Amino acid sequence: MKSFFHYSAIGVSIAALLVSGCSSDSSSTGEASGVTTIEFWHVNSNDWGGNEVKKIVDNFNAENKSIQVVSKYIPNQYQGVIQQAQAAIAGGNPPDVSMMGYNYVSYVNGSLPYTPIEEVAKLDEKEPNFIKDNFLPNVVDLSRADDGKLVGLSFGLSNPVLYYNADMLKQVGWNPDKPPATWEEIKELSKKVKDQTGNYGLYIQEPPDNWATFALAKSNGGNWLEKNGKELKVTVDSPEVVEVYQMIGDMVKEKLAFHGKQEEGQQAFGNGKIAMYYTTIGRMGGIKQQSKFDLRTSKSPTFGSKPRSIPAGGNTLVVFSKDKKKQKAAWEFIKHLQSPESLAIWVQGTGYLPPREGVEKDPKGADLKKFLDENPLMKPAIEQKDAVVQWANFPGDNGLQAEQALIDARDQILNGTSTAQDAMSKAAAKIRELLK
Amino acid sequence: MGGLSYEPMASVPARRELEKKSEKDWVDRMKAFQKVKPFLYLAPALIPIALFIYYPLVKSLQISFLSWNMVSPNRKFVGMDNYSYLLQNREFWNSVWNTGVYTVLLLLLLLVSPFFVAYAVTRISGRVQAFYKSAIFVPTVLSLAVSSIVFLWLFNPISGSVNHLIALVGIPPVNWLSDPTWALISMVIITSWKTFGYHFILLLSGILSVPQDIVEAAKIDGVSSSMGLIRRIYVPLSSGTLLFVFVMTVVFGIQWSFVPIQMLTNGGPDQATSHLVFTVYQYAFQFFKSGLASAAAVLTFLVFSGLIVFQALVMERRVHYEN
Repeated sequence: MKSFFHYSAIGVSIAALLVSGCSSDSSSTGEASGVTTIEFWHVNSNDWGGNEVKKIVDNFNAENKSIQVVSKYIPNQYQGVIQQAQAAIAGGNPPDVSMMGYNYVSYVNGSLPYTPIEEVAKLDEKEPNFIKDNFLPNVVDLSRADDGKLVGLSFGLSNPVLYYNADMLKQVGWNPDKPPATWEEIKELSKKVKDQTGNYGLYIQEPPDNWATFALAKSNGGNWLEKNGKELKVTVDSPEVVEVYQMIGDMVKEKLAFHGKQEEGQQAFGNGKIAMYYTTIGRMGGIKQQSKFDLRTSKSPTFGSKPRSIPAGGNTLVVFSKDKKKQKAAWEFIKHLQSPESLAIWVQGTGYLPPREGVEKDPKGADLKKFLDENPLMKPAIEQKDAVVQWANFPGDNGLQAEQALIDARDQILNGTSTAQDAMSKAAAKIRELLK
Repeated sequence: MGGLSYEPMASVPARRELEKKSEKDWVDRMKAFQKVKPFLYLAPALIPIALFIYYPLVKSLQISFLSWNMVSPNRKFVGMDNYSYLLQNREFWNSVWNTGVYTVLLLLLLLVSPFFVAYAVTRISGRVQAFYKSAIFVPTVLSLAVSSIVFLWLFNPISGSVNHLIALVGIPPVNWLSDPTWALISMVIITSWKTFGYHFILLLSGILSVPQDIVEAAKIDGVSSSMGLIRRIYVPLSSGTLLFVFVMTVVFGIQWSFVPIQMLTNGGPDQATSHLVFTVYQYAFQFFKSGLASAAAVLTFLVFSGLIVFQALVMERRVHYEN
């Protein structure tokens, strides 16, 4: 009998543990003491600005007694953040402020319960026009969803540049102070490199996304989607886009360009086996570390005289709090993140460009000016900031699947299993089906 | 006696009656407890299994009939739509086919070849044998994520050591991770390299447990070649271990190979390395289509249940267990 009670007591306590584990109270602590605690999610690991983010948050917490920020690192970059955010929202415990990749803006708008940034900014009595006064309109628009709603405030900002091995250019008799400015010149230089050194001329980054190819397509006058009144037209099989893919495919076929994983391409570029490397300015730190030669950058090349048009990479700050008090606190923190002092730390830690105008001229951002002067590699990226556009999002629930169809088409073209025309027509048909 | 009231003492027979009744009660309760007791003992195991395996299983069956991303307030019941979409989808069948290819290649590298290697190791003796045992087992201690990164360096088509080595014997360079035919093979190589040692040790113990007197008897009866001994003596007598390794390879091989796929190819190039487990992940966590992912998971579950039933009904009967 005694043992019966003994066991049932254990059973009850296990049950109690399970129940209490499930319903742990998630509301903020310390509300009674007048302190508002908010949670901030970021993607910065320790080798990519994590310590700098911690410093920025610590500064904020030291200056503010009534608002305390708890920062949380989310692994796996922007995809990781959106996965975790889904889970947290499903569990009823979303972050108050979170970084979100620009390519997920429309998805957030369509599928997650967020608070539009302008609603939050309105709560600010002192600086109600903070966004308009401090940001270029094209930079603000990066955080706009496909239906025109402004989802967050643009923060991390990068764009694609051409890294090149100046030593190798000299070796093949190309003036390294005049790097290729057009894709035609890139082809010309690649031929020289291949003929004279046996190395590859170019590597265009190939991660599982279409960011770099979008920059080429857009600069050639093409696009993924076109707005036709209210209707969206899929234009990935337009001549301008097909031409770009065919050009890359041909360069790979002729062994002028290398085809492989991004890490492989970057290693090979660092080992002096590839002359030029087209990728984001955000990778500057890593590339600089891996390269033992005269490394330089130049602006994203154009197609003849067609205007440069390149997608931004990076993240926007999205508010999920529903409570007014927390929203206000979240806005205060966002303004702190966007302050010249914080941006100076942020840019140095991550290699992202300052999203705000005039930070380097602000006396409080003096560190940043010094950093940019010492890092001429970043200059081209800053100079081409006005050519930055939003990376096309495929809208709707099937949007991310449509993106994959385009990645698959790229693989077919680069592997030579399909011509650009065939692969892009098939991809277009599939995307049209998915977006129906 | 004032306000003190008490019940009059029951008569002796009535008291007996009462005792009997409570005794019966007690026996009844004890019987009930005896019935519950096994479940109480099982509870610590059953509750977690129910919570973390059966509940999600039922839940994914339920989600597989919805068009939903787990968060959105508008969850839509779509009946069998997710299933019919998958069954008509070229990519899904491609991943089913790839699952088959993975399984066959993994069986070659994680069942057949470690068996022969283990047999070879039993042929040598002393310190050399001990060296081989530990040398072959070493990669097992690494995590698959780490092995994947190691191979990312080794497989680099321009500056990697593998291409450098095959160039010495005149083989043209291979684009291991980006060429559609080689990418899947690379995934299998990475997975096998890490798991080989473990299966090797298991099979080695299987081979070593074959009684030597039987082997000697077979030799006297005229089975002298190594192949003959393997075919007639070692394979049948270590079939228990072989079956275990077979099931491990089929069921877990696909799950292990998920790691290099996720880290290195993301299912590419052009879905060439994608298999059922990765497809489920891709639908659920890259496309956020939980309904479709659940439907794919249910189908995967059915396929593998089929394999387990086959194993239980057909192979188990032909297996020799010593005890």
